[in-house]
Amino acid sequence: MSEHHITPLKTYLVIAGALFCLTAITVWVSYFDFGSLNIIIAMGVATFKATLVALFFMHLLWDDKKNLTMFIMSLMFLGIFITITLLDTGFRGGVNPEVEYPINKRAAFYDSLPLTDTHGNPVDEHGTDSHEGDEDHH
Amino acid sequence: MAENEKLNYLTHPKGIMSWLLTLDHKRIGLMYLFGGIIFFFLGGLLALGMRLELAAPGNDFMSNETYNNVYTLHGAIMIFLFIIPAIPGALGNMLLPLMLGAKDVAFPRLNLASFYIYTLGALFVVYTIIAGGVDTGWTFYTPYSTTSTSNVIPMTMGIFIIGFSSILTGLNFIATIHKMRIPGLTWYKLPLFVWALYGTSLVQITATPVIAITMVLLILERLLGIGIFDPALGGDPVLYQHFFWFYSHPAVYIMILPAFGIISEIIPVHSRKKIWGYKFIAFSTLSIAFIGFLVWGHHMFTSGQSVFSQIVFSFITYFVGIPTGVKIFSWILTMYKGQVSFTPPMLYALSFLFLFTIGGLTGIFLGAVALDIHLHDTYFVVAHFHYVMQGGTIIAFLGGLHHWWPKTMGAMYNQTVASICCLGVFLGFNGTFFPQFLLGLRGMPRRYATYDPQYAELHNYSSFWSGILGLSIFIAIMNLLWSLRKSNKLDPGTNPWGAMTLEWTHTSSPPHPHNFEEEPVLEHGPYDYDKVIVEPTFKK
Amino acid sequence: MSHDNSSPDFLQHHFHDVDQQYETAKLGMWAFILTEVLTFGGLFVAYVVYRSWYPEMFVGANLLLDVNKGLLNTIVLITSSLTMVLAVWAIQQKKQKLSLFMLIATFLFAFMFLGIKYLEYSHKFEVGQLPGEYYSYMGPEVAHLNNPHIFFSIYFIMTGLHGLHVAIGMGLIAWLIYATAKGNLHSKYYTPMEMIGIFWHLVDLIWIYLFPLFYLI
Repeated sequence: MSEHHITPLKTYLVIAGALFCLTAITVWVSYFDFGSLNIIIAMGVATFKATLVALFFMHLLWDDKKNLTMFIMSLMFLGIFITITLLDTGFRGGVNPEVEYPINKRAAFYDSLPLTDTHGNPVDEHGTDSHEGDEDHH
Repeated sequence: MAENEKLNYLTHPKGIMSWLLTLDHKRIGLMYLFGGIIFFFLGGLLALGMRLELAAPGNDFMSNETYNNVYTLHGAIMIFLFIIPAIPGALGNMLLPLMLGAKDVAFPRLNLASFYIYTLGALFVVYTIIAGGVDTGWTFYTPYSTTSTSNVIPMTMGIFIIGFSSILTGLNFIATIHKMRIPGLTWYKLPLFVWALYGTSLVQITATPVIAITMVLLILERLLGIGIFDPALGGDPVLYQHFFWFYSHPAVYIMILPAFGIISEIIPVHSRKKIWGYKFIAFSTLSIAFIGFLVWGHHMFTSGQSVFSQIVFSFITYFVGIPTGVKIFSWILTMYKGQVSFTPPMLYALSFLFLFTIGGLTGIFLGAVALDIHLHDTYFVVAHFHYVMQGGTIIAFLGGLHHWWPKTMGAMYNQTVASICCLGVFLGFNGTFFPQFLLGLRGMPRRYATYDPQYAELHNYSSFWSGILGLSIFIAIMNLLWSLRKSNKLDPGTNPWGAMTLEWTHTSSPPHPHNFEEEPVLEHGPYDYDKVIVEPTFKK
Repeated sequence: MSHDNSSPDFLQHHFHDVDQQYETAKLGMWAFILTEVLTFGGLFVAYVVYRSWYPEMFVGANLLLDVNKGLLNTIVLITSSLTMVLAVWAIQQKKQKLSLFMLIATFLFAFMFLGIKYLEYSHKFEVGQLPGEYYSYMGPEVAHLNNPHIFFSIYFIMTGLHGLHVAIGMGLIAWLIYATAKGNLHSKYYTPMEMIGIFWHLVDLIWIYLFPLFYLI
């Protein structure tokens, strides 16, 4: 096969290194709470990692641009799907006088479930375990 | 020279295994045609059953439960087993490589796999029928579909599997169109049917995966009670509708874009005139494909989605009609000052222009939220989508069959009988479905087996003309098959209509197994009737 | 690089030359990637919608997932992507044995991923953190949350579908190992390896998003 761009070994190793570093960063950052920025930072790092994989490992940087176009189009349509759906789910009860509350506060079967500890073993409801009971109940 | 003595794909290679394991796109196209027609007839019988029941008020011979099963199966079979696969699978497979000057599609083995995947999915649907049917409506709305005791899982599995067939065909066509054209065949010299298949294929690969995952989620909801669509478990049934219609609206464009392509081929040839507005038609195809992804919520105006999204969906829906209007005007302008011959393909194309315009315009009526609140789930919607899907796609499909039959089969059919059948289809269709607009406006709901006596007269007309429609379609297909009989076979020659695209100018009728004896050299554009004279090889 | 004047045995009859065949295969593969993005995309829509409705529940429930196992899986998958791309690099350099070694390494990493997933899943089965109606865990972290079963439903469907793709990838890589060992793939024809490599990178790509969405935020 002629004229196929062969990526140098060094490029692959550098990109892999970058991916490991970015993974470490995203885990480290998750231990801090930036409020609503949490999701943006996490998705930003993930997108940067994904871009590296797509452009270098999947070779899109050197390929026929049609392939990159198709990949971007797929993300664009996914974006359309998410955004327009959120226009519905995020704005229920916006105009008509309906009571807007979450679909169901709590599914009925939870009332029949016994409290358990972190290993799944049931605990005595009136026990001395100090972890329970101090969060707000619905 | 008698064409049937020359080597052609129908007779060579021989033997049943050479058909079952064929990699020849033309044979695969025929197999899709065969399968498609069988399911068309099955769906049609179900429809005639419905019309028979609805001819008079009350439950004449179907209980309400049986009727639910019948309309569900009618819808699912027609949509998933006939309309979506038929034009790309049958005509697309047959013609695309020929129109490009290629020896085959890009991935012939994948093409055969697509056909067998279609067959497997079809078997799941047949099983569902035998096992007692499914009664949720072809839309499988939750929460009924998650709790219904009918055979939801086999049917949705069948649809899931058929989805893969659709995806792989689309993938194959995209690669073929991009990569397998002969030198000199640039994008703007392609036949418009190729542009149509390209737009369709883009929609197929982008939208169909979503119905696949939707069916998976529905099956998991039934099996595991996940709760994603069940309010009692914190889920949302309207979310199912978003998932379903995100595919199913683009699906209607999968159904109509190939039909538009067929009309774009028939009209210039049978008017012996260059197509007007080639680039308009080409780009309107891509526009429809794209805008079609933004409007799915107009199927959900009464579902309880937010009013904000209603407004957005309604607004964008108005835009999707514009490129279609561009096409209709372009086709009419093509005929203007042309030499129109009223051959059967042309008669079907003219029927299309009339019927699809009505269907398309009534779609715009439904795009207005205020109107749709009253018309949703009434017979107005039923009439609208039958005008576009049957008056549009199926009429174009019949026209395409009549146009390309002599080329692909090497036999000319009786054109007088074909023309009479076209008239029968046109009259039968209007007689069946126009009253349904009126029924819907007067409040007749859809998916009801019985109704108040006030609706009886219109239902009566509708049922009567449905018989004419069914009979005409049946005779039309039989007429085509009748042309194949060995005795008295009419030889159409290589170019009976005097067309200019590669499948007409460079192949025999039927084509050689490898399409072309040697690779064609492009001499003129696909519709250059103003520059070149091509004589038809068949005189009536 | 020289062209073969005679038709090589891997050139299919309907293509003019190997370049056309290669480019077409790549285009077809990327069209397939498009469909995979949309398939998983549907599930991402479900995630986004439910997260927007139950933000505190998602934050609370994700504490139940083992970040260490998730992190280990991420590292395993990135490494397997590296070995996959090195397998292609090696065969381009005519290093057949190295390529084979890299493919086997990729396969083993994939197996490790599934193994770690198995450990995670089995723990959840034990304590009752299951999808939908089967959910029965009411530990202290979730006792006050609204409908944590939704989190686990979406978690199992998304990681399950992803795991299925890992398993399918393993099958494809196993075939590559066979073909490379036999010599059917070599420096002049390695298209299947590259195409399956692109699929494998997609599997990695999806996990790059799943990891933070379920384990970190």
